[in-house]
Amino acid sequence: MRRVTRHIKGGCRNKAKIPPGSSNKDSSAELDESLLLTENLTTNLFRIKQFLIDCSDIVYREFLFAQREDIRLVMIYTDGLADKSQLSDQIMRALSLELPLSAPQADITRSGAYHLIKERGVCVHQIKETNRLDEIIEAILSGDTVLLVEGNSTAIINGARGWESRSISEPDTEVIVRGPREAFVENLSTNTAMLRRKLKSHLLKIEALRLGRISKTDVVIIYIKGVANEKLVTEVKRRLRKIDLDGILGSGYIEELIEDNPWSPFPQINHTERPDRMAARLLEGRVGIMVDGTPFALTVPNVFIEYLQAPEDYYERFYFATGVRIIRFAALVLSLTAPSLYVAIITFHQEMLPTPLLLSIAAQRESVPYPAIFEVLFMELSFEILREAGIRLPRQIGQAVSIVGALIIGEAAVRAGLVASATVIVVAITGISSFVFFYSASIAIRMLRFPIMMASAALGLFGLISSIIVLVLHLCSLRSFGIPYLSPVAPISVGDMKDVVLRVPWWAMYNRPRLIGWKNPRRLGPEQKPDFPEVKNRGGAGDA
Amino acid sequence: MNRKIILLMVLILALLFPEGCWSRREINELAIVLGAGLDRTADNKVQLTLQLARPSAFSGGGENAGGEAPRQNNSWVVTGTGDTVLDAENNLALKVSRHIYWSHSIIIVYGESMARGGVRDVSNFFMRNPQPRETSWIFVTEGEAKNVLESHSELEKTSAQSIAFLARNQPGYSIMLEDFQQNLTSPGTNPAAPRIQLLKLGQPQGVGMEERLRHEEVGITGTGIFKDDKLVGWLDMSETRGLLWLHGKVKEGAIIVPSPGQPDKKISLAISRDKIKVNPEYDGETVKFNVNIEFDMELLEQQSNEDLTQPEKIKEIERLAAEEVLEQCNSALAKAQGDYGTDIFGFGEAFHRKYKTEWKKVKGHWNDEFQKARVDIAVEPHLRLTGMLHRRASLKR
Repeated sequence: MRRVTRHIKGGCRNKAKIPPGSSNKDSSAELDESLLLTENLTTNLFRIKQFLIDCSDIVYREFLFAQREDIRLVMIYTDGLADKSQLSDQIMRALSLELPLSAPQADITRSGAYHLIKERGVCVHQIKETNRLDEIIEAILSGDTVLLVEGNSTAIINGARGWESRSISEPDTEVIVRGPREAFVENLSTNTAMLRRKLKSHLLKIEALRLGRISKTDVVIIYIKGVANEKLVTEVKRRLRKIDLDGILGSGYIEELIEDNPWSPFPQINHTERPDRMAARLLEGRVGIMVDGTPFALTVPNVFIEYLQAPEDYYERFYFATGVRIIRFAALVLSLTAPSLYVAIITFHQEMLPTPLLLSIAAQRESVPYPAIFEVLFMELSFEILREAGIRLPRQIGQAVSIVGALIIGEAAVRAGLVASATVIVVAITGISSFVFFYSASIAIRMLRFPIMMASAALGLFGLISSIIVLVLHLCSLRSFGIPYLSPVAPISVGDMKDVVLRVPWWAMYNRPRLIGWKNPRRLGPEQKPDFPEVKNRGGAGDA
Repeated sequence: MNRKIILLMVLILALLFPEGCWSRREINELAIVLGAGLDRTADNKVQLTLQLARPSAFSGGGENAGGEAPRQNNSWVVTGTGDTVLDAENNLALKVSRHIYWSHSIIIVYGESMARGGVRDVSNFFMRNPQPRETSWIFVTEGEAKNVLESHSELEKTSAQSIAFLARNQPGYSIMLEDFQQNLTSPGTNPAAPRIQLLKLGQPQGVGMEERLRHEEVGITGTGIFKDDKLVGWLDMSETRGLLWLHGKVKEGAIIVPSPGQPDKKISLAISRDKIKVNPEYDGETVKFNVNIEFDMELLEQQSNEDLTQPEKIKEIERLAAEEVLEQCNSALAKAQGDYGTDIFGFGEAFHRKYKTEWKKVKGHWNDEFQKARVDIAVEPHLRLTGMLHRRASLKR
């Protein structure tokens, strides 16, 4: 008893150090003594209250079982996390008012009352029993409602959770024209349900995990059994279990803790807030990781080409999709090299420009006092500042910033002779190109632009080419859960070329990506190319 | 890991600094050469004239556009003299505040004094120096090259651009530096270059416009022909056509011939495609060239009112066209072969290709050999389109 109190003194603040995370590390003898319920309700209540001291959002509601003074019940839940209407209707009203009407209760014992409550009284879908204090605390804090019964050393955990959450809305970061319009929300169970609705198969496995010493965040690993490589699933689980962090507040935490090359500027784990995209990746044999509290789900392994694929490519006609992909590749090259190329050419290789263009640029630069590299750096920095401001600032001020930005960058700087208008064009095209492909990859590209710019300002095209070579070497060395980052381009996999620059029609995409879906390579049945000669010969389906 | 990264950074920085930015040249530190002219001074020195772009005059499309007279010169013409071209350039650079930048020099003009004395000793500068383009157009002018570069153009920003665009359109015989040098190198052919002259062009269009037209513009007026590297004479435009025919470089253009049934009226034929075959024959004594010119034409203009779509009329037109072309070729041949004895047609190369062993004997004195050679020209025109749809308007009702 003294030991218990010593534990309890830690209270809410030190909760993380005691149960339940550490409980399995303690010896079972100590655990029995300190963390089990007794038959005395007052003692139990006292001990729970000691754990949850100074946690003002915990509600303790005492009431009588079937109006019998000798059987007291205590309902404990967290305010805001439990569904109060369910509590009052299905638990309190049922136990204290309705049960006495329907069942004989005068001669019932305390343990009898417990069974009655468990089997007939409580009208909640999920219930669980436990006699361990740590489980009770965790259940309360996760939103469950704990029911303690006088004279019983077991508690009933009612899964009557219900809290305010955002409703499903359109995705903000991956907008498309044609295709599903729903996005994940912060609530994990809503998210898994959305995925389950897309893939109604018993093969879709959703394995749960809890991470975070204090946050105790629910994390699930999602994969399709038989499609995903088991070794990959095991590896994902192994890396996730290794995580020992006080709080997981977003999928980005996990991403940084499990990626293969922690120093690389390139993200090696993909994320999405679109259930359809997630489902498509799972169908290719990838493994998903979803974290409670964030709408962004992770998928592994990730290859670079994925950043140049948009979900819409698969919903629109393949000719269009292929065309758009070529544009995206061009945008990638532009956003990485356009300013460096500009600097290199106008400070080292003026002979590469057509004469009229050279003269026109020379005329613009006539009044510019700085070397071209400073000019471009200044403009790129201004652009990045404007972009950052555009994201951070309150929405009401947005217009003001865009007007100032457009005026300062577009007009005044050129008029004042600070920058050449060609520089403005280059910076603008670079900035816009960097938003064409996937956002998190564009961050890396935008960042790498600066060192490449410096190299080309120092060494010209030689510097540009050298830094591109270094970059490509780095990309070649990256792995994401063992899969080469540049696959299927390097190492080349000819079959997968159907979904890199080209997007061939669905009836021709027979196989899953070779390195990822080799367990179950075939995704298409035979003879899927539409060919209906009988209808064609008759001259239409109408007279069938 | 951290130590490695720091080491890498230090290495990269160490690489950058000693390397420096030694070949860095900001655009506004360049004096962009648009055209170069070479003259020989009286005391046998090289006089180099450069047309330098004045970038501030090129700003945007805005200010200078709209028919307003330019308020400032678009280019600046500077002259320097020296023993060699580089010496002249260095002397010239003393007067120019920026680096002289050759890469956009699009024309090289030889003044008559320079061309008559031989261009070999100055033209190699433009090949050895990495900056000037091998695609610069080569010209010769009567008088001083300096005067040509000092002119300005009504249509283009500078006269250098105007001349270069003129050469690009190939109204006459145009040649680039690399081909010119190649012709100098090979004993089987002699170079030729278009002749440019200052011409009084244009009419003032209203009060106060006379001022703007008080200048002369550059135009192509023929071809200067070289023997080895020395200018020996000129071809006029009709003889230049002959030169183009014998080079197979006609590409486009027109032939004017009398109408078959009504010789006082003319018809115009547009040339659409030409092909030339030069077949040398050598019997150990005399050289003979059988030249076969074949080309397609279409009827573009008709002053007469006869029906030219008849097969016999077509035959007749083809005969007349052949005669006309033959005459052009012969006049060019007469001048180059007869008057000056220089092979500017590349016939020597054709001979070389066919008679490799005999070539060794004749190549030392090829121009003399060429002067003695017989050239048989066969012309085979094909009238492809006679205008079936539009002929009715020309016919008598």
